[in-house]
Parts: sequence; C-alpha cells; structure tokens
Amino acid sequence: MRPSPEKKYRGIVLVFYLALIALWQTLFSLQLIPDYLFPSPLQVARRLWELGSDGMLWPSMQATLLRMAVGFSIAAGIGLLTGLLMGMSRIVNRCLKSLFLGLQTLPTAAWAPISLLLFGLSERGIYFVIIMSSLAAVAIATSDGILQIPPLYLRAARTLGTPGYAMPLRVILPAALPGIVTGIKLGWTLGWHGAVSAELIKSSVGLGYLLYMGRELNDAAQVLGIMVLTILFGLLLDRFLFAQIEHRIRRRWGLLQAA
Amino acid sequence: MDPNASSIPATARAATATVKLRLTRVTKVFESGGQRVEALQPIDLEVSEGEFVVLFGPSGCGKSTLLNMIAGFEEPTSGEITLEGQPVTEPGSDRLMLFQEHALFPWLRVIDNVTYGLRWEPGYRFRPRRRREKAMELLRLVHLEEFAKSPVHELSGGMKQRVALARALAPDPKVLLVDEPFPALDALVRAKLYTELQDILVRTRKTIVSVTHDPREAACLGDRVIVFTGRPGSIKAELTVELPRPRDINDPKVAECAGIIAKQLEEENNETIPGEKI
Ligand SMILES: Nc1ncnc2c1ncn2[C@@H]1O[C@H](COP(=O)(O)OP(=O)(O)OP(=O)(O)O)[C@@H](O)[C@H]1O
Ligand SMILES: [Mg+2]
Repeated sequence: MRPSPEKKYRGIVLVFYLALIALWQTLFSLQLIPDYLFPSPLQVARRLWELGSDGMLWPSMQATLLRMAVGFSIAAGIGLLTGLLMGMSRIVNRCLKSLFLGLQTLPTAAWAPISLLLFGLSERGIYFVIIMSSLAAVAIATSDGILQIPPLYLRAARTLGTPGYAMPLRVILPAALPGIVTGIKLGWTLGWHGAVSAELIKSSVGLGYLLYMGRELNDAAQVLGIMVLTILFGLLLDRFLFAQIEHRIRRRWGLLQAA
Repeated sequence: MDPNASSIPATARAATATVKLRLTRVTKVFESGGQRVEALQPIDLEVSEGEFVVLFGPSGCGKSTLLNMIAGFEEPTSGEITLEGQPVTEPGSDRLMLFQEHALFPWLRVIDNVTYGLRWEPGYRFRPRRRREKAMELLRLVHLEEFAKSPVHELSGGMKQRVALARALAPDPKVLLVDEPFPALDALVRAKLYTELQDILVRTRKTIVSVTHDPREAACLGDRVIVFTGRPGSIKAELTVELPRPRDINDPKVAECAGIIAKQLEEENNETIPGEKI
C-alpha cells in the first residue's frame, strides 16, 4: 500500500519541529542572553511540569476553557441571530456590516480596559471581552454565507412548498453552514485571544493569569511555557476539531473535489 | 407522412379530457436598466390531466420563462395562468418544478430529501412515520431504496436526478414542471432515465410540462410537442406524438418523429417554408 501524501508530510513536519527545538537549544547554549531571561526548552518543560504537579496548571486551563465555552456560546448565538437578520434584510446588512467590520479592526486586547471599567474584576467582564472579540466574525461570516447560498436551493425549497416561517431553520441556515463554520472557527480563535488578554489583566486563575504571574515573578520559563501551552491548545482545537468539521461539511456540500 | 411516426396536427386531439392547466394570453417582458426584452408573445395553452406536454424551441425563445411563470417564480406581464381554475400567484408544491441540476439538499440524507416536501402537505403534517413510508415507496419506484440513508454526495449524477424525481413526486403535485431534464448525463444514463421516467409516468399518471431543445427528447417523452418560434417566443406549431410507450430514445421511429419536430425549427430558422402542419 502506498503511504498517503498526508502521512509522508507528517514525518517531515515532525523533523521540522525537532529542528526548531534544537535551534532554540543551540541559541541557549551560546549563552548570548542570560539564562534567567532566555531559558532552554528543557527548563521550560520542567517549569510546566512543576506547575502541573503543584496543581496550578490544570485549574487554569479548565478556567480558561470554561470561560470560552460560556462566552463563546453566547457570542455564537448572538452572532448567528444577527448574521441571519443581516443575511435576510439588506438594510440590516448595510447598517451592521460596516459596524462589525469596524469592530473587527480593534485588537481583542483593547476590549479589556473598557470591560474593567464596566464590570470591575468580575467574571462577567471576561465573558464580555470574549463576546466582543468573537461576535463580529461569526455575524459577518453567517451573513456572507447566507448571501452566497446558491439560488437553486432557495427555489427548490419554495417549489417544494416550504412556508416562509420555516425557511430560516430548514433551508437558509443549513445552506449557509459552510460559511458559518468558517466564521465559528475564526470567532473561536479571536475569542481565545480575548480570553487570554482579559485574564492577563483581571483574574486570579486561567492561562492569562499564569502568564501575568510569570512576569511578576520574573519567571521567563513560566511565561514561555504558558505561551507554548496556549499555542498548542489553540492549534489542537483548530486543527483537530474545527478544521475537521469544516472539511466534512465542505465535502458534503459538494464544495470540495472528491478525492 | 409516414404513418408509423404518427405525428398528427394537434387539432385532432381528443377535447374531452379535463383541463388541468390553462394559460390565457400570457406574455412576458423583462425590463432591467432601461433595457426591454420581449421574451414571450401572447401564449395560449391548455394542458389536460395526465398529459405530457413538451415545450420545444430554439435557445432564448422563452421556454424556461414560461415554466418559471407556471411554477410561480415569475409573474406574467399580462395574461393569466390557472391551475384547476385557480390563478397561480406564488411557488407551491402543486406545480412542482424539477430543475436542470438536481438541487438536492446536501445537509439532508437521501430519504430526508424525499420526505422534505411532505412536511407541509395535508395528511402528512406531524406524521413522520407516514412521510417515511411514502418516501420509501418512491425510492423503490426509482430503484434507490438501499441508498435511503446515504448522504447525497455519495451518489452518482444519475442517481441524484432519480432522487430529485422521487422528491418531486412525493407531494403528489398536480403538475410536474421539468426544465431540460438530465442534460449533464452521458447518453447511456440518459436513455435509461428516459425509460424509467416514462415507466413512472405511466404508473403515476402525472400531468407534466417539460422543456427541451433536443428533438429526440421531445419525441421520446411528449404526448404533445409545442414548437416555439425564436425570440420573442410564440407558439408556432403543436404536434401530437402517438407512438406507444415506453419509447426507446434510440428507436428509429422516435428518431423519425424527432426529425419531423426538428424540421419545424429549420423552417422557422431560414423562414422560407411557411406552414404549421406536417
Ligand atoms: N431575468 C431576466 N432579465 C432579462 N431578460 C431575461 C431574464 N430571463 C430571461 N431573459 C431573456 O428572455 C429570453 C428568454 O429566456 P429563457 O431563459 O426563457 O429562454 P429559453 O427558451 O429557456 O432558452 P434556453 O433553451 O437557452 O434555455 C432570453 O432572451 C433571455 O435573455
Ligand atoms: Mg431554458
């Protein structure tokens, strides 16, 4: 059996990452920067391990994920609904699209100060940042997805006797699903940025908080460790959850060439 | 005229059958951005119950436009379309349209596509079990019952068209509208689908209005062929095809009949030979 191209690349990618870690280790060994500012991969791994066995890591990861689960669910709900309205009414689309595009140019961290003012150090403030960071992406992708629905589906639905009230749930949202999933994926990433930014400023648990602590303690190994962990986490969800779902939907909707 | 081809002027048609669909002085003018396109000149047409009428004519003569107006996607500029005496105002499953592309919903499995239109039909509302039974019956009719649970994208082009046909038959439309069926399929699959379609029609006794610019297709499927002039379209001739069913699209008699139908167009194209009859 011939190995699939996917499998062939997997080995190369692994080598690439090993080389990257080796480069890091080499830079460390050259001692150009003092090691308390620039720790080695091994030191970072050890620090992560310590944090883990001290019982610091797991609750923080849990806290960030839980915040994301709650905040992003709300954002996705509101985003879908506004996106649906935007997709179905030209006036709503004109008004909200420019607003959302504008909001999207704002770095997610920029929501933290206003959230601090509005909600103080409460959990609600973090939800607020997550929601504001991801809402626009979901809404815009949903409305774009709806506007790109092949007219044939809508005509087929109407000739099959679909009453107007049933169109959004039975036809419009499912037909727009490929666009919506792309928006959910982007929204999750932006929400994740927002969550960690907010935790940097206003929390006592979470990945962002551990970053902040690391800086307070001048612990470069902790800072780098948490950064790597955050990246890994985001990548894992993106590659193995959202990308998979997206791929399946696109294949099913006939948007990919069959292999 | 060869008696085997059995094409006779439409006037000889039995006038006793009940009229399902009636078009009276229907015209269509498209106006967009100052441009005025006269697509159809006044069209009068009656379609009887259980009749298969084929609209045949050159590209751009307004066949699809006429079908769209019957389906309710477009409004006639003037004139009236009635189904069983009721004026047509909007799309609905009593005048179900079967599209050129299969238009199946990819988010639904094969069986759910077929049950889709039944959800709002009297007798099927809130009765998923009954909908499923009806759908399975139709899938058996198109020989796809073992694919009921498959996602649509796993089917071949011809299979998709057959599912689309089952889906269109499910709400038991009073008139089935078909715009250029199966154009994207190879000749072999097409021939098979035609046989199958006719077989189903004989069994279900559906009233059908179909569009084509392939004379063979017209001869193979139609009880009556309406020949259109070029744009702005108007009815040039009506031919009744009296070959026995099922007809094979490769049958020489069908080919002969197709020749007669095609001739109508040629005559129109070079505008030398006048005449409505063959
Ligand atoms: N929405 C529209 N706006 C303006 N003109 C239109 C529109 N739809 C159709 N037309 C014009 O009306 C005429 C008839 O079009 P129609 O699609 O009904 O032709 P057809 O007989 O189905 O042709 P074909 O065999 O190529 O499908 C064409 O000249 C076309 O350009
Ligand atoms: Mg057409």
